[in-house]
Amino acid sequence: MSVQRSQDAQAEGIPVTSCWNCRAAVTGAHFCAACGKVQPLPAGASYFAFFGLPQKLTIEPASLEGQFHMLSWKLHPDNFVRASEFERNLSLERSSQLNDAYRTLREPIARVEYLLEHLGVRKEGTTKQQAPPELLEEVFELNESLDELREARAAGGDVAALQGRLEAAQQNFQEDLEDVDAELATLGREWDAAVDFGGEEAKKTALLARMNEVLNRRAYIRNLVAGVQKELGS
Amino acid sequence: MGRVVGIDLGTTFSLIAYLDAQTGSPKCIPGPYGSTLCPSVVSVDPDGKVVVGEPARAKLLTQPERTIYSVKRLMGRGVADVQDELKIFPFRIDPGSDNVIRVRLGDKSFTAPEISAYILRELKSWAEAYFKEPVDRAVITVPAYFNDAQRQATKDAGRLAGLEVLRLVNEPTAAALAYGLHKQKRGHVAVYDFGGGTFDISLLKLISTNEGDIYQVLATNGDTHLGGDDIDNALLDLARGEIRENFGVEFDHRGEAIQTLRKSLIRAKHELSSAEKTIVQYPLESKGMYIREITRAEFDELIRPIIARTMAPVKMALADAKLAPKEMDEVVLVGGSTRIPLVRKTVGDYFQRAPHCELDPDEVVALGAAVQADILETGVKTMLLLDVTPLSLGIETMGGVIAKIIPRNSTIPASAQELFTTGVENQTAIDVHVLQGERELAKDCRSLARFQLKTPPGPAGLARIEVKFLIDANGILQVAARDLRTSEQHTVEVQPSYGLSDTEIERMLEESIEYAEQDFAERQVIEARTEAETILAATDKALADPRSHEVSAAERKAIADSEAQLRAALAGSDYKLMRTRIDEINSATAHLAEVLMNGALQTAFEGKNLDDV
Repeated sequence: MSVQRSQDAQAEGIPVTSCWNCRAAVTGAHFCAACGKVQPLPAGASYFAFFGLPQKLTIEPASLEGQFHMLSWKLHPDNFVRASEFERNLSLERSSQLNDAYRTLREPIARVEYLLEHLGVRKEGTTKQQAPPELLEEVFELNESLDELREARAAGGDVAALQGRLEAAQQNFQEDLEDVDAELATLGREWDAAVDFGGEEAKKTALLARMNEVLNRRAYIRNLVAGVQKELGS
Repeated sequence: MGRVVGIDLGTTFSLIAYLDAQTGSPKCIPGPYGSTLCPSVVSVDPDGKVVVGEPARAKLLTQPERTIYSVKRLMGRGVADVQDELKIFPFRIDPGSDNVIRVRLGDKSFTAPEISAYILRELKSWAEAYFKEPVDRAVITVPAYFNDAQRQATKDAGRLAGLEVLRLVNEPTAAALAYGLHKQKRGHVAVYDFGGGTFDISLLKLISTNEGDIYQVLATNGDTHLGGDDIDNALLDLARGEIRENFGVEFDHRGEAIQTLRKSLIRAKHELSSAEKTIVQYPLESKGMYIREITRAEFDELIRPIIARTMAPVKMALADAKLAPKEMDEVVLVGGSTRIPLVRKTVGDYFQRAPHCELDPDEVVALGAAVQADILETGVKTMLLLDVTPLSLGIETMGGVIAKIIPRNSTIPASAQELFTTGVENQTAIDVHVLQGERELAKDCRSLARFQLKTPPGPAGLARIEVKFLIDANGILQVAARDLRTSEQHTVEVQPSYGLSDTEIERMLEESIEYAEQDFAERQVIEARTEAETILAATDKALADPRSHEVSAAERKAIADSEAQLRAALAGSDYKLMRTRIDEINSATAHLAEVLMNGALQTAFEGKNLDDV
């Protein structure tokens, strides 16, 4: 695994530094190979590199979990209670990065979002608020139904029929969401293939842009579904 | 360096435990009254002397205005948070103590961490009496659902009691650890921890790795204001209502009478855990006697709504862990309130399996804490706890909306980086407000801290300050900032919204350390004296034994001399000198003891060589 990590570290352009304790060369590894001391996090290293993984979107959950447990055992602050303050802080930095990385990479959607953010394609926490064109008609109908429901509630009208219509619409959007997830999975596999076989930069860029669009659509639909659920629940 | 211990600082009772090196098992340490349970009650006598535990509990009845129980409910909270409590609990809050509650006990007032520190110090003295050496480091447990301020207050209490707090461990996790050692189980475990004042549910995954066992918390939820106290109060409401109606007697909710009534109702509650019915009798002086039979069925109906309140957090934790109730392999009950049959039945029905309650539900948390304390102390890691933060961490953004940066149930330590910049030209400070909670708006969440990032004047958006928010392994927030343009570390002065400042802690600490040293010395003197008197009596008896003449006259004189020296030391108050003299008399009498022992053995084992025995 250490060999693989150094390759990935090279792929990410992580510079070779020297161990703070014994000055031996280190390339982003958790511990110095020579003296075993925990090392500071290299600037700009990704969550993928932390696990010694290439920047690919297919990750086997069981093996990621196994790595997480193995690294937790080594990096957790419990191991450093009696170490110097400097080392305690390094352990805190590394173990929090481990937990952040695992939390992100274990969820397929969060994993794509993170990759796009890390590669500068997507800004953290941003989602486009305007409706994707292909959804315009459905969204328009949905908003109309929501308005009618609110009016009917206020006026004491027939709520049941409108609720049925909304539930059907919600079901539709739920299916859209499944389609979106399937599309994202396909794009993910194409991305992985491009990484494996050294695909052209232009193709990679196009894939990233496409994934970003799909993510935006996904966020938009999720908001709609949440809105409908809230209205139906109230 | 002294000993290391695990402490369960509970709402109703507190306990202290250690890992017995011989057996490798954790053990709770009993106090002077023989019980391992120290009532979490503190009383301040008119002469200023602080009494803790069993004697303080007795004082609830004789000087209620100088005595406090359930102080854990006030930890890390502001006056606005505890309005509901104030209607029920006889807390006397100092006016004007909004964000750090000060409780009046007689003519002095104390913060909740100070009162808790008295409880910790009492437990510490139990352990010191037991080990006959100082105790200075501890793992202290907290409810899993405690927020940052409540955790910080607990850590402060530890410091004030002269303890280095090695780690705060969540109570259900500590319990799971004690059970894991006990049962060697694998799989999904639900810990339902219903104590005196808090309720927690934690869902864990137990994993065996090549190196050791990992206890990974998947989700936790709870209510830090729900516990056996609420059941007591429901009984109290019932009795007060009936007494008002039938006898025209109204109780002052801070008086002595209500504490006596409360005490008999708690006894009734305990009895109803095994009996089908019980009788409460309460004398109302000239008005007669309130006699009330309570059946189990009636009690169950009374407490059903309270038990029901525990199930909402259970469901939320399962949803967060993406698990169904039947997927739990084990269910563990912790906390005194889980002795109630209705609680056991409710939990068993929900998870469709019989819950575990083999270990003493009062002791199990302290036992787990002792195991963790030993691991941190010795560095010999046999297992690892991976806990989570119970509440989402967020920062306030435009319009008072929260941006969540660390979601609840994230494994800790956890961190998040945020980039801050200026919004208008020549802005020199950026305000950051950190909160904890699940609601959308800042006003509905718990304010943790505020701080300002200073920046030189310039065009809007030029400043680039990166702030790192980190929740450490104790579940406590740390903040660090870095100016990305200069790469310099930015100093952040975080003003906690609730709780004590560092200066206040320092001042209290100075006072408490003096007391702690004094307390320790006093106790040591008493113990050395007791031991010396036992030894002197035994030595006198040995010298009077006719067989003592089998040792030489010179030896007998040496023994008599060392007796005289020990008696001289007892006249003073230097416990170390007493200990030296005790050791001396022990070695002076070693031969004599052997001679007498051989004589005794010879009588018992006629004809046998001592080596064969």
